[in-house]
Amino acid sequence: MKLFFLFFFLCVTLLLAQTELVKWESQQMSYELPAHRHHDYSIDKSSLGLSILSVARNAYYFFVSDLDGDNCAFSPTCSAFFIQAVKETSIIKGTLMFADRFTRDINFFKGSNHYPLLSTNKFLDPAYNYTLHSAKIKL
Amino acid sequence: MIQSTFQKIFALRTYSNILWILFLIIPFVKGYCQSTNSNNYFSPDNRLQFANYLYKDKDYLRAANEFKEYLKFNSNDTVQFRLSNSLFKIGRFTEASDNFKGLFFGSKLSEEARLMFFESNFFQSDFNSFRNLADQDVYLPQKYMKDIERLKFATYFFDNTTLPDENILLEPFPVSAQSQIAKFYIQKKFQLHKSPATAAILSALIPGAGKIYTGEIGDGITALVATALSAYLAYTNFKADHQFRGWLFTGLTAFFYGGNIYGSAASAQIYNARIRFDFDKEVKFYFEQRNYFLPQIDL
Amino acid sequence: MKVRLVTILLLFLSINIVEGQDNLSVQLNYANGLFRSEQYYDAVTEYKRLLFFDSTKTYQYEANLKIGESYKAGAKFDDAIKYFSFAELNASNDDEVFKTKTEIIRTNILRRTTERALQLCDDLEKDERFNTKIDTINYWRGWAFMLSDDWKSAAKSFAKINPNHELKLLAERTDKAKVSVTFAKVISYILPGAGSIYTGKILSGFLSLGWNALSGYWTINSFIEKRAFDGIVVGELLWLRFYRGAIQNAEDSAIEKNLEISNKSLRFLQNEYKGTKL
Repeated sequence: MKLFFLFFFLCVTLLLAQTELVKWESQQMSYELPAHRHHDYSIDKSSLGLSILSVARNAYYFFVSDLDGDNCAFSPTCSAFFIQAVKETSIIKGTLMFADRFTRDINFFKGSNHYPLLSTNKFLDPAYNYTLHSAKIKL
Repeated sequence: MIQSTFQKIFALRTYSNILWILFLIIPFVKGYCQSTNSNNYFSPDNRLQFANYLYKDKDYLRAANEFKEYLKFNSNDTVQFRLSNSLFKIGRFTEASDNFKGLFFGSKLSEEARLMFFESNFFQSDFNSFRNLADQDVYLPQKYMKDIERLKFATYFFDNTTLPDENILLEPFPVSAQSQIAKFYIQKKFQLHKSPATAAILSALIPGAGKIYTGEIGDGITALVATALSAYLAYTNFKADHQFRGWLFTGLTAFFYGGNIYGSAASAQIYNARIRFDFDKEVKFYFEQRNYFLPQIDL
Repeated sequence: MKVRLVTILLLFLSINIVEGQDNLSVQLNYANGLFRSEQYYDAVTEYKRLLFFDSTKTYQYEANLKIGESYKAGAKFDDAIKYFSFAELNASNDDEVFKTKTEIIRTNILRRTTERALQLCDDLEKDERFNTKIDTINYWRGWAFMLSDDWKSAAKSFAKINPNHELKLLAERTDKAKVSVTFAKVISYILPGAGSIYTGKILSGFLSLGWNALSGYWTINSFIEKRAFDGIVVGELLWLRFYRGAIQNAEDSAIEKNLEISNKSLRFLQNEYKGTKL
């Protein structure tokens, strides 16, 4: 019986797709457990405006967002979305994108929308989908 | 004395003595053979045997390497074909198509190689060049004309070129598949897109209407309520002569109003992208399931 | 005469066998060399070549085992387990069977399919052939627990080998160093921010306490001044939010602190521990 299972198992694995499409190297697996995701506190130095915005965002993270619990249903969070939006477009367009995101966030029934659900139970809603360049949209 | 030894040696007649001599010379013969090929695992013939085993075992990356080594010393059309096919299987389509090209002329596998050449080009996903290639009939295999034609018409579903006439497109496909492909044809030709401009104008007239137009009803209602509420609060505060609060809520109203117009246009675009995405997925699945109506070539 | 004939034939055959084997062992050495120099992809190719030409099935166990080890070193765990199973089928004695089985367990631990690893350990323990190898089984069971962050069970497994086993002490230390997630949450219910302070996030804890005090004051003040609507809005949007946030934060930072403690021990195991590793 055991042998039968072993053979069955071997047959199944043999049927599986090839994994070696390219020559591979040795790869050490870390024993460590995956760490929690933290807010991205890095300051964007690509322009003065973005630097000021990221400082303001960091202050918001430190004084409010880190203390009032996990409230945003989206990934990236609204504040991170704002920075992304400004970076992708301009301060004016970015603000409009943020206003739209904010409205979508206060919608009680956002679960009925088409957002992809991540393993962290957050809706994936990246800024690049809202730049009005249809080629940038990734679903 | 010497003569008697000589006599003894030359007088060997028995069977066993012949074997004795064989036994003595075998190591030398074997040594010679080894230096050429028989037991050297890296001799071309042994490499080929090993490569064929790997090929059957679907270990294509290793097989390709062994085939290449073999072809350094010998030329063989089947091996060349298998090498190209191994490259094809591991997704190295450019290399595969170059290698299939080598079999176009003067080979009994010419037709199959030409078919695989077209397949390799198809999977490079540059469908425009693929159609150009299929239209010039320099490399077309006579035996597989219909298959390549089907592949050519399939490409129209994978990019955004103007579709040819429906009947021309359907003709090479088997009758059983025609109704489904005709459905795809209509879907592709008349994709029900939402216009971003319409969405934006609708939202400018009635906040949230554009979102409802693109199907996001909850977002539309939220936008309407948020804009109306902040406008109402701005109005009452101005009425009560709370200038600061009045302006604050006016700003908030503009924020919601502007954001919603922008968001409606973006929402229409995402709607269209989703329609395209779902359609592409369905078509791809359909053709993949049927191996793009191509014959299975096992060589 | 006949005796002589047979002797010659035997000699003749033995030369063939010796030479055939010799070629195979040369190939084995070549593959082993690649394996030792960590060229695992090429090592797999050469072991496969060895298997292909090994018509006498002399090296089936060894080559399959080495292919498994190569795949394991390349973090291709599914393939590794497949070849370890091939090796098991070709094992000629109980020691070889045990070796392949433990390799499969170790690969499962690395692949983080801990349930499977533990189940295989249980199966091995029940197997009468391996009664003398109970320590090894417990050793790998301990490792499975450690990599799945269950240090208490790990300590128990290692203690069965030796009450003063180095890894038992490590697992015990790690388990003791951890903070209680429940305690952090409970004290946050009583005093917002206390949980964060308990887990070492002092500034965050005091900020949390400050927000709660301030929004609590605003809320109560609104009610005292008979502005019930303001009171409800501030209470719901600020106080309740920060109160809930403090509890959630205490839980998160306790979990994070425990994770740091675990990872410190796991880093030690990976980089400094001298015994047999995964």
